Amino acid sequence: MSYQNKSSSRIYPVITYLVLFGVFILVVSPLQWAIASSFSQNDLIFRNVFPFSWKAFVPSQFTMEAYQALFTQRDFGLVLRNTFILSIGTVLLSGLINLLAGFAFATFDFNGKNLLFGLVLFTFMVPIEVTIIPQYLQMKNLGWINTWQGLFIPGLANSMVIFLFRQFFSEIPKDLLDAARVDGASWLKILFSIVVPISKPVLIGAGMVLFISTWNSFFWPLVVAPSPEFRVIQVAISLTVEQRQTIWNELFAGSLLAAIVPILIVLPLQQYYVNSIASTGIKE
Amino acid sequence: MRNLIKMITIFVLALSMLLAACSPKPQATQSAETSEPEVPTEAAVTEAPTISASTDEPITLTWLILEFWNPDNVIAAYQKEHPNVTIKAEKIGFADLFQQNQIRLGAGDDSLDIVSVDAPLVASYGARGWLYPLNSTFSSEEIDTWVPGAVEAGTYNEQFLAAPQHTSTQLLFYNKDMLEAAGITPPGEDERWTWEQVAANAQQLTHDDVYGFTWEQTTAAYQLLPLPLSLGGNAIGPDGFTVDGVVNSEEWVNAFTFYGDAFNSLGYAPKSDTPANEMFKNGKLAMFVGGSWNNLVFSWGPPEFNWGVSRFPYFEEGETVIPTGGWHFGVNANSAHPEAAAEFVRWLSAGEGADIWWGADSYDMPAQKSIIESFSTLPEFQTPPLYFMQVAAREATVNPVPRPVTPGYLEYEQLLNAAFNDIRNGADPKQALDTAAQRIAQEMAKYQK
Amino acid sequence: MLVKRERWTPYLFILPALLILGVFRFWPIVIGLSESFYSISFLQGGAKVFTGLDNYKSLLGDPVFIKSVQVSVLFNLIINPLQILLSLGLAFLVNQRVRGVEFFRSIYLIPVAISINVSSLLWKLILDDSGMANGILSLFEIGKQPFLDSTSQALWSIIGIASWIGVPFWMLFLLAGLQGIPAQIYEAAEMDGANGMTKLFRVTLPLMRNSIGFVLIADTISNFLLFVPVYMLTQGGPELSTNLVMYEAYRRGMIYGDFGTSAAMVMMQLCIVIFVVLIQSYLFREK
Repeated sequence: MSYQNKSSSRIYPVITYLVLFGVFILVVSPLQWAIASSFSQNDLIFRNVFPFSWKAFVPSQFTMEAYQALFTQRDFGLVLRNTFILSIGTVLLSGLINLLAGFAFATFDFNGKNLLFGLVLFTFMVPIEVTIIPQYLQMKNLGWINTWQGLFIPGLANSMVIFLFRQFFSEIPKDLLDAARVDGASWLKILFSIVVPISKPVLIGAGMVLFISTWNSFFWPLVVAPSPEFRVIQVAISLTVEQRQTIWNELFAGSLLAAIVPILIVLPLQQYYVNSIASTGIKE
Repeated sequence: MRNLIKMITIFVLALSMLLAACSPKPQATQSAETSEPEVPTEAAVTEAPTISASTDEPITLTWLILEFWNPDNVIAAYQKEHPNVTIKAEKIGFADLFQQNQIRLGAGDDSLDIVSVDAPLVASYGARGWLYPLNSTFSSEEIDTWVPGAVEAGTYNEQFLAAPQHTSTQLLFYNKDMLEAAGITPPGEDERWTWEQVAANAQQLTHDDVYGFTWEQTTAAYQLLPLPLSLGGNAIGPDGFTVDGVVNSEEWVNAFTFYGDAFNSLGYAPKSDTPANEMFKNGKLAMFVGGSWNNLVFSWGPPEFNWGVSRFPYFEEGETVIPTGGWHFGVNANSAHPEAAAEFVRWLSAGEGADIWWGADSYDMPAQKSIIESFSTLPEFQTPPLYFMQVAAREATVNPVPRPVTPGYLEYEQLLNAAFNDIRNGADPKQALDTAAQRIAQEMAKYQK
Repeated sequence: MLVKRERWTPYLFILPALLILGVFRFWPIVIGLSESFYSISFLQGGAKVFTGLDNYKSLLGDPVFIKSVQVSVLFNLIINPLQILLSLGLAFLVNQRVRGVEFFRSIYLIPVAISINVSSLLWKLILDDSGMANGILSLFEIGKQPFLDSTSQALWSIIGIASWIGVPFWMLFLLAGLQGIPAQIYEAAEMDGANGMTKLFRVTLPLMRNSIGFVLIADTISNFLLFVPVYMLTQGGPELSTNLVMYEAYRRGMIYGDFGTSAAMVMMQLCIVIFVVLIQSYLFREK
């Protein structure tokens, strides 16, 4: 079983709860204001903020108009569908590609391993602003502007996730692998029948990272697929900031809708993720 | 080690072959046989591409516009008259349109034909060769269609690069109830207070959590340039680059001491970034200067008190200077169909398109004088608050001073806005302006190389 | 471990990833960074001209750039250890065996799900002069704080916001590492007479080596790249106190259109990042 600190005195749990609660307030207050504002009329959002009153945490004149507008005027149904397709597709495809690479870097010794891994990490270090024009031109030359290929393919390899896999897999005891080799298993078989089943935490972690970063992606979809039929959720939300005014309640409503999906995915999965780490016993 | 080098070489070779296979294919050759070289007039620059769209070839024009504009009416009308032309509008949010222009125009993207250019950026795009000259597209009567200053704003180096579609003007908005409660006589709609009056009244109106006055775009050059200009200062040197001695001149320091005091020592202006019209509606702000578009915003969500407008203030010893400028439309220099695109721009900004467009777009002041003049007879504009658009119409033609024409406008504006922000937060105006002058000069240096 | 005929297996495994990274990231990086050796000559009507190291030289004499390097160094020196410590602390906190800890853990992950643009905007509204933060402070009779409008508080505010967003994320990985330590090891240590502190430094942390190493390196890189909060909240101000190199590079490239200078800045910061990451990799290398 996994190790958790035992409470050794009466006071200890009290302090723990105080700290837990303090962090809770810090995390939740901004969000509660956003939630309340999303159910308010646009004009009333700033009313209770200064001088501050507790009314700020409750919608003033509860209305669903922001949420309704998102679906009727901003095409949020299509937007959600697009973002789902992109995110799930990336998790599956990119997950696989990164898995293969991370495993290889962790398990094998081969010429150029360190250099190639360094290159992988290197691409992670360069900000997208520097590469956006060459990348845009590349997409244009391939005819991939406003296409699914343009949205998907450049994101199919993620350096951070490869790094994550490599760190995790390098902890797998070599004897485990050697035993399988002796039995004549191919490397692919070893990866999928032996390594993957005991690696659920990192798979879930990587899946979460890929899903959330794709779900919340903004700049690349904006540049490569600005057309409304390919719009993703963060781009749709950014449109609530207009030249002359910002539709605050729609902005908050859209952002909360956007956040709910990863939350609904992260929350149940992280239970599983943390619990299953306890049962992998990798370090034994 | 040898294996490694071999591997890298193979990898790089494979990459380059892959990329070579993806190099751009020559564009739009279908119209090459039927093209006629354009006859250049004295004003036209001959670097413009010579592929002209013959009237029978079907072409598609791509138009990059702001997301909240509705182009359907103008597109339908134009396509009806020009059946071979299809116009595809691509909409981008305001916050990202500038970046999109930078990326696509900067990449020499030939899939973009009609460009939305914010007035002060015409020089910037022009200096980079991104816009197709429109000198030969517009007749001289058409050039006269627009409000004063708009043509100059769309011109750089004697090339007319972007046709004005919109302009803007400003009004002073005030909460009538609050003024009367404080014993201040509200100004008449055509009356012009001085900045000194505004400051004095604002101080009287400030109490508890209510502020007396602010500028809508609190730290923006667009909003604040009239302050030093009203005192006789200049926006930029005559060469379009010099700022030392200009933005830190005595007039500027005085203007921005006035400005800084509003937020600091006299405290009648809020340091909050809550939008001015929101604070106004919530009863936390008694007066503000802002764009005439606020009349429309207030017509959709009326404030719960009596309010009115008057004209844009000026310094007692100075001139009346009003901010102006709006969106223009231009043609991408790398467009595959520049002439067809230019013709559309002509129709839209100086032809029948202007009337159709203005009906659909609800925010901005049109740049066409005829439409502005029609405000006095439009039925919607007879009752307040939209009645105040008539006041705006009158204001739009009183000394509108466009922002300075310089290829380095973006740098100029960024650095000045930062200085204004610092002054608002309490920095010493002279120091902040000196620093700004220094930094702007440094950025301007590259335009002279 | 590899038989002769399998010499190509590792390469095949990494091929899809390397192909994609190579074509769609590495190649544009090479092109993008090479822009640093060019400038636009306006006297030649906007043509791109090869200028070698000129961009670099002029940056070294540019007070704005020097200041942004100072800001970036200060920022990273503070935020990296801070976030690692906070993430570790938070991981230990939610690892406590108290009732209901799963609920708190779930709540703490919510900032991870919200995009960084929206989180930044939310905090901008909260830290505004008339915003919720000052509103709450006034309930305690504390005066209004300038936060993002003050040269002394702005950078700290940015650090705070970036941590609100980032710490829960990194905590997840550290928690995984923490929970991967089997109970037996602690029991064995206790039988050898180890107390709390010793267990922490001799057992827990060493066994978390790989996850700490990952978080340290990935977080360092992310923090060097960070710029969305600055972009949305302060634009480098007030008085350049939050003008990170990344933001100034963005400003020069995407706002001014001066891609040569922007690329040169990024190149110089890259060298520092690579250097730092190499050191961190060495410290956390496989033993």
